[in-house]
Amino acid sequence: MKRTGIIIINVLIMVAILAFVVVYTVFENSITRKRQTEHFENTTVTIERVTENYLEGEQRICDVWARYINSRKMSMEEAAAFIRISHVLQNASAHLIYLDSKNGLSTRPHLGTADNYEISYDKIDFLNDTSWISDIGESINISRAYTNPMNGEQSLAFCNKIMLYDSGEDTAKEALLLRVLPIAELEQKWIFPQEEFENVELTMIDSDGDYIIKGKTFKNSNFFEFYKSYNPSDPALVGRLQAEFTSSTGSFMILNSKGEKTLIAYTPVAETVGWTLLSLIPAADLNVNTENWLLIGVIFAGLLILFIIDLLFFRHLNKKLRIAATEAESANKAKTDFLSTMSHDIRTPMNAIIGLTAIAQKNLGDTEATGENLRKISLASNHLLTLINDILDISKVESGKLNFTPVTFSLAETVENLVNLSQPMVKEKNLDFNFRINRIKKEYLYADQLRLNQIYINILSNAVKYTEPGGSVSVDIREEESPISGCVRLIYQVSDTGIGMSPEFMKRMYQPFLRQTDSRVNSIQGTGLGLAITKRMVDLMGGTIDCQSEQGKGTTFTVVINIPVSDRQRDEMHLDPIDVLVVDDDEVLLQTAADTLESLGAAAECAKSGVEAIEMISKRHQENRNYDIVILDWKMPDMNGIETARRIRSTIDEKIPILLISAYDRSEIEEAAKTVGANGFVSKPLFRSTLYDKINQLLGKERKSTESEDDYSDLKGVHVLVAEDNDINWEVIQATLSMFGITADRAENGRVCVDIIKKAEKGRYTLIFMDVQMPEMNGLDATRAIRKLENPFAASIPIIAMTADAFSENVAECLNAGMDGHIAKPVDIKLVIKEIRRIKERENIK
Amino acid sequence: MKRIFSIIPAIFMIFGLVACNSGNHQENKGFVPKLDKSTVSKINIVGSYSNFEALEAEFDRFNEYYPNVEMSYTKIDDYNNLITTVLDGNDAPNIFFSFSWMTGNSAYDGVFAHMENLADASLGLDLDCIRPGLLNRDSQGRVLTVPIFSTSYGMLINNDLFEKEGLKVPATMQELLDVCASFREKGYASPMMGYSVNSSGSLMNTVAYPIFAETLAEHPEMVVLANQCDPAAGEYMRPALETLSLLINSGCINLGECSEISDNYTEVIMRFFEGDVPMMICTGDTVSGTKKRESQSTAFTENPFNYTFAPIPTTDKGGYFLDSPSVQFSVNNSCENLDMTNEFMRFLISRTELNQMASVKRLITPSKDLSFDKVYAPIGNVASDLVISPTTLGIEDTLAVQIRLASYKVGTGSMTIDEAVEKYGSLE
Repeated sequence: MKRTGIIIINVLIMVAILAFVVVYTVFENSITRKRQTEHFENTTVTIERVTENYLEGEQRICDVWARYINSRKMSMEEAAAFIRISHVLQNASAHLIYLDSKNGLSTRPHLGTADNYEISYDKIDFLNDTSWISDIGESINISRAYTNPMNGEQSLAFCNKIMLYDSGEDTAKEALLLRVLPIAELEQKWIFPQEEFENVELTMIDSDGDYIIKGKTFKNSNFFEFYKSYNPSDPALVGRLQAEFTSSTGSFMILNSKGEKTLIAYTPVAETVGWTLLSLIPAADLNVNTENWLLIGVIFAGLLILFIIDLLFFRHLNKKLRIAATEAESANKAKTDFLSTMSHDIRTPMNAIIGLTAIAQKNLGDTEATGENLRKISLASNHLLTLINDILDISKVESGKLNFTPVTFSLAETVENLVNLSQPMVKEKNLDFNFRINRIKKEYLYADQLRLNQIYINILSNAVKYTEPGGSVSVDIREEESPISGCVRLIYQVSDTGIGMSPEFMKRMYQPFLRQTDSRVNSIQGTGLGLAITKRMVDLMGGTIDCQSEQGKGTTFTVVINIPVSDRQRDEMHLDPIDVLVVDDDEVLLQTAADTLESLGAAAECAKSGVEAIEMISKRHQENRNYDIVILDWKMPDMNGIETARRIRSTIDEKIPILLISAYDRSEIEEAAKTVGANGFVSKPLFRSTLYDKINQLLGKERKSTESEDDYSDLKGVHVLVAEDNDINWEVIQATLSMFGITADRAENGRVCVDIIKKAEKGRYTLIFMDVQMPEMNGLDATRAIRKLENPFAASIPIIAMTADAFSENVAECLNAGMDGHIAKPVDIKLVIKEIRRIKERENIK
Repeated sequence: MKRIFSIIPAIFMIFGLVACNSGNHQENKGFVPKLDKSTVSKINIVGSYSNFEALEAEFDRFNEYYPNVEMSYTKIDDYNNLITTVLDGNDAPNIFFSFSWMTGNSAYDGVFAHMENLADASLGLDLDCIRPGLLNRDSQGRVLTVPIFSTSYGMLINNDLFEKEGLKVPATMQELLDVCASFREKGYASPMMGYSVNSSGSLMNTVAYPIFAETLAEHPEMVVLANQCDPAAGEYMRPALETLSLLINSGCINLGECSEISDNYTEVIMRFFEGDVPMMICTGDTVSGTKKRESQSTAFTENPFNYTFAPIPTTDKGGYFLDSPSVQFSVNNSCENLDMTNEFMRFLISRTELNQMASVKRLITPSKDLSFDKVYAPIGNVASDLVISPTTLGIEDTLAVQIRLASYKVGTGSMTIDEAVEKYGSLE
């Protein structure tokens, strides 16, 4: 639905709610008003009762007087004298008026006189017709409000017809007895009893509508004239009102002289001749729930605010959804692209493997061509393996199933591994490669070595991969104090002079399936997963990864991880107090090496070039204080390490021990080193342990010739048991081992393996390579079974897992089952050899 | 969204403006309250009118300035006789009606004793807004009575009837006689009508009094004698009585037709509204009842017509506009709340309020602006030399009674002009 539609629906809902509230409020108000109107009418009736009682009481007094006068045949003067005696109220008076002349006497003198009692009603019209005066006691005979001729006060008169006699005569004359009371007297008794009706006005009208007593809001001299003046009406309506006034109680709304609505309640005054009591109240006074409009206003404002907030929120939400959709679309596209890439990337090496295999099969006779094909097949296979490992890793990372298996490991070995892995490509691309360590005090750490390697390798391989030939890549590892107790902060920094990254790419570089595209690196192979995996692993390890990059200039990645220090450290390393000369053009390395040597107890001196070194050695030689060891860097300007060693040997001392610092790959100088008489190699970077071991080794074996690592004579006679269900895999491992003089027996599954080892005599097997997933009994169960054997040789035989279950948890599972190591398939024979040597060494120690 | 945010404040602004406007009053811009607006007070005005809606409307307007002043109007029975007693009594009013005829009548000395001097500069009344001829200053320069309405003597003219019959409203005596003759020829039994049953308010007095006043105005030395009912002044009634006789004798006024009009107020109006009377002789006081009775007359409701009030053209130059105070207000100088009472008078005595009251009551305003009411528009056009002010002349009630009685007797034929002239001062 479009936004306009939603807005319209919202507005309609608001209007509907408001309409409901208004209708409900109006309904409630009308009920309240109706209730109040009824209450108002009832109160008016109550007032009428009070009024009626008062009028009746006054009329009764008049009746009593009239009866008495009539019963005594009194003259006017006698009657007046009688009433004067009977007066109780100070402000009340009585008038005796002859009907014919409208003249008579008052019981009180005219205002301002002491003895003038004469009075005339000749000009006061309400006595022109006296038919409204009933017989004594029959009803309340009350006049309209009029001006009392004796004192000028507006008054009411209660009337009775009486008969008066002239003195001494029997002839009676009709007369009227008027008990006259000021209207103020009645008004004082007219207090509306309800506090909520404080603005009520009371009025009394006669049957013609003329006011007897008049409230201030009532205008004109006649109520109906007042009504007609300010209200649209027709004569019929006025007639109906007039009839209703004298017969029933009710109320109706009128407009006052100001055009305001007022409610008038009416009720006939009983015992009178068509009098009606009217009470008036402003309609606004009945609307006690005016605050409902405030409520409506608040609801309206609330709905409006809600509506606006919703509108803004939905706009925000829509924006986020749009972004999410775009991202999802982008991610989806990236995945599609990735799958497409994977398909391409997997098919490419597969194509090479299959094609080259077919070529090799056809050219079996051509050894050279077959060898070349097999080399290429090997390269393609390794790439394929990397690809598959990355896909599996990111899959585990994304599903949150990546677990770490911490083990104690040597940082030196890790670094060595890093150097070894990077060297082929460094050499291929002729990169200037530098690997420095600084202040590494704790070489043995406790972490998931496999994943830490993966992090370091990913970053380093990226640097190498994205640096053009002739560029430089430098690695720095330094140790700092960690804020976490028992840990060291290991800072790993890789800088290159490669293609760099754009700021846009850097924002997304940790997303999976992304690769930096550049015309210069289109040919670079990769899964686009390396950084994503690295980032997530660093995060999971609680570390940080930072990247500084500039397109065309290079990139620097810095990984900081707090790593626990292993309990196992090398024993205290102390050299004899020897003098060591370190020669290198790299000042940092010189300083680091000097610091390390001094920490080992040696006295280190430094020379920045071969020439300087020769001078220093020569000088010492002349002083008969020869250096105990000279450590020479191979790559130095002007005079390299080989040349320097040659000159030392030829011109100064043939015996001084010389160690050559190999720049990561010694193979190309090995021969030359032997020729010039170097005593050994030490690889960069110079770890404390590396220096300690090499120096001790050198001092213990003076002038020992360099030993080739390709000497596998130590492996001759090694006999292993291989538990492997797959025939081809068995064949591969057997053939590979045999190349190194290692013989092997096969167990087709775990059960067979257990049986064989159970029966094997002591020393029959150096170790067991155990596959994990095997029929009948898997490798883990077999290991557990072997460890439980009674035969001590069998129960303690080293068992190395050799399995395609390559994840760290698989490694942990193996170790937990009692195995001594883990080699992942496809098998790297170097690792196999290394593992065999490790076991052998361990056994020798035992 | 921007539109929504701009519409919402606009709605609130409109509501605000409407709300503000609804609270505005049409206040008298010239009136600035002098007293504390929250003063609680009562003001009672008494008079002889049964209804005084025009005054009650003024109460409402005054309450816009002083909401806590409770105001009321009370009709006093037998006002002329009882006002003195009322002023001395417990219900003494704050303001009361006073009339020109009270001046010089010793019976009202007590009344005059109660009157506040409204010319006192400290009261701040704008007496200049009143036509000077209506304002009565005593020998000490005091103004004890202030006219609220004025009245005059003349005739209601059915302009549509003149137009229908193709006749022109007369402007001179001759034209009047001619137009009456024309109407008679067209079947109108009495082209001029009026109340003739009693001398009080009779058409005879309405015709004769302005002419008598004008005659005295030409002989101001006779006014005193006339006031004193000196028979010597009788001769000055002659022109008035002769004109009256001429109108009756020439058939302009058919007394037989007029006798059907039983009172000098409602019946006069209702008869005029029948629509077949070209000219209805009456006073301004009677005209005041026309507005309300338009709706009460079926004939007028069914066939409404345009009408105006003008002096009767009894001379060659036109008719005399006898500019007389109708109702005057006096302030009871011993009343409670005298300050607020004078404040109300200050409010009331302004051109705006006087015209407003006159408009509601349809009486002639005492202010200098006569143009606001189209019914009285012809009076505003009367030449200044035809305007007569009985107040200025010093005419008292005794004189007015004599001409009223004389004209009635002559008009009805119970007395000749000579007899009436001769009996001036003793007519009863």
